[in-house]
Amino acid sequence: MFSHFFKKSKPRSLGVSKTKRRYDLPLEKGAGGLFLKLLIGMMSILAVLALAASFVLSAMTERWTSGLENRASIEIPAQDQNGKLLSTTEVEALVKEVEQFLKKHPAVLDIQVMSKEEITSLVSPWLGEDMTYDQIPLPGLISLRFREDVIFKPESLQVPLKNIAPQIRLDTHQAWLSQLLRFTGSLNFAALIVTFTIGITTIIAVAGAVQARMAIYHEELELLHLMGAGDRYISSQLQRYMFLTAFQGAIIGALIGGILLLLMGWISGKMDITLLPDFSLSAVQIISLCALPLLVGMLAMFTARYTVIQTLSKMP
Amino acid sequence: MIKLEHVGLRYGVGPEILSDVNFQLDPGSFHFLSGPSGAGKTSLMSLLYLGRRPTRGLLTMFGQNIGELNRQQISKLRQRIGVVFQDFRLLNHMSAFDNIALPLRINGESEKEIKANVEELMEWVGLGDHRYMLPNTMSGGQQQRVAIARAVITRPRLLLADEPTGNLDDEIGLRLMNLFDQLNRMGTTVVIATHNVALMEQFGYNRLILQDGAVRLMEPKKSIKQRLEGIF
Repeated sequence: MFSHFFKKSKPRSLGVSKTKRRYDLPLEKGAGGLFLKLLIGMMSILAVLALAASFVLSAMTERWTSGLENRASIEIPAQDQNGKLLSTTEVEALVKEVEQFLKKHPAVLDIQVMSKEEITSLVSPWLGEDMTYDQIPLPGLISLRFREDVIFKPESLQVPLKNIAPQIRLDTHQAWLSQLLRFTGSLNFAALIVTFTIGITTIIAVAGAVQARMAIYHEELELLHLMGAGDRYISSQLQRYMFLTAFQGAIIGALIGGILLLLMGWISGKMDITLLPDFSLSAVQIISLCALPLLVGMLAMFTARYTVIQTLSKMP
Repeated sequence: MIKLEHVGLRYGVGPEILSDVNFQLDPGSFHFLSGPSGAGKTSLMSLLYLGRRPTRGLLTMFGQNIGELNRQQISKLRQRIGVVFQDFRLLNHMSAFDNIALPLRINGESEKEIKANVEELMEWVGLGDHRYMLPNTMSGGQQQRVAIARAVITRPRLLLADEPTGNLDDEIGLRLMNLFDQLNRMGTTVVIATHNVALMEQFGYNRLILQDGAVRLMEPKKSIKQRLEGIF
């Protein structure tokens, strides 16, 4: 099966070249190409991780915000504004009053008054299962959904609710949600900045490599030039070489990055982190990551083209 | 075809290497370019193969004023010129075949056409068995033949050669001069820079003598060939 690995290669004749000519310039000579490939490979690993981080953050934001649009919750505390505890009957009366008010409101689509059992199950993780909840005054909780077709600010409910009972609290989720969105947004921005920096670094590395090659092979370039090779002919060779070098480097980088992502997904699965969404990527996101080597190759190709044309324009 | 009027050339802010050069090469003409060492033959050749632009004066090639052409148009003109450099300027990472094929590839010829033409010419210059040899493993004479084959493969309208027979034995040298002669008969304008007086006398063509930065034309003496033809 592996016999071809151990097969003796044909003895090479020195000073003879039967290989197919790929470039007019000796671009494949030296270790510069390998160095560039490694550099782009490393950049691609970072780009894959940064993009994946951006995707995960987007998924987290989506998960936290989904279902919260056009929704609010109302809490009727079992304590008035002077600190006096209210009885269960008093709380239920207030809940009833608020429910009646909301039912008549044109912007409210539906309301859901939480039952005593539901509230108990919400507080039981903090107070314990064996607690006798009949002895504790429980607050009233109402969840409501607004109509999408009515232009209405949920905050405007605050005043009429305060008229019913000053201690009633309206939670439109905006306060904590906007903070959370700002936080994930800034992380997402940082991930995009990292991706952008990787792109710029790739451009600088490719432009530097092209300029170095053009300086090393100046005589060969001049010869092609004198034979009538136009700027496009010469630049196409460097473009092709840089595209293939960057593409190969980026494929290796993307593969390693992909393996790292799988590993991270497996680790987060093992750790049972419920705050994070599943580490699975959507088809569009997978395509985006798979397209990364192609994008890196194209970036290198256009950078090479621009650099070559700029350098050649200084020749007579 | 080629006209130089009051042409001057200097490198940077240095003194003028060529000053007030005036001559004209008619289509299909054959000239030797000679002069003492350091007279500026290589500089004049670089003007003719469009490696440099004159710092003053007017250079007209193939009916076009070089000073008015853009880079792309200059590239097109260069494709009509074949050059044999004194130091050959072969690409050492490519086989002899690929070196000779290079101008055809630049001109966009098909690989089939390239193979047929290059193989035929390699046989003709005596390099048929050296197709895949790398230039740096070939002798000086062989390298020179590769350089000459590369210059003539496109049947250029203007052929410029700087000491093209310098490293060749008499037989090969004569054979290549006959190749230049044949190309000239087919309409190629040829300029050969050489110190070889015997060669110039043998092929009795006009001489351009470059001295003190200027060029004068010298009518040929009767060549040995012509003298022999007169006797017999």
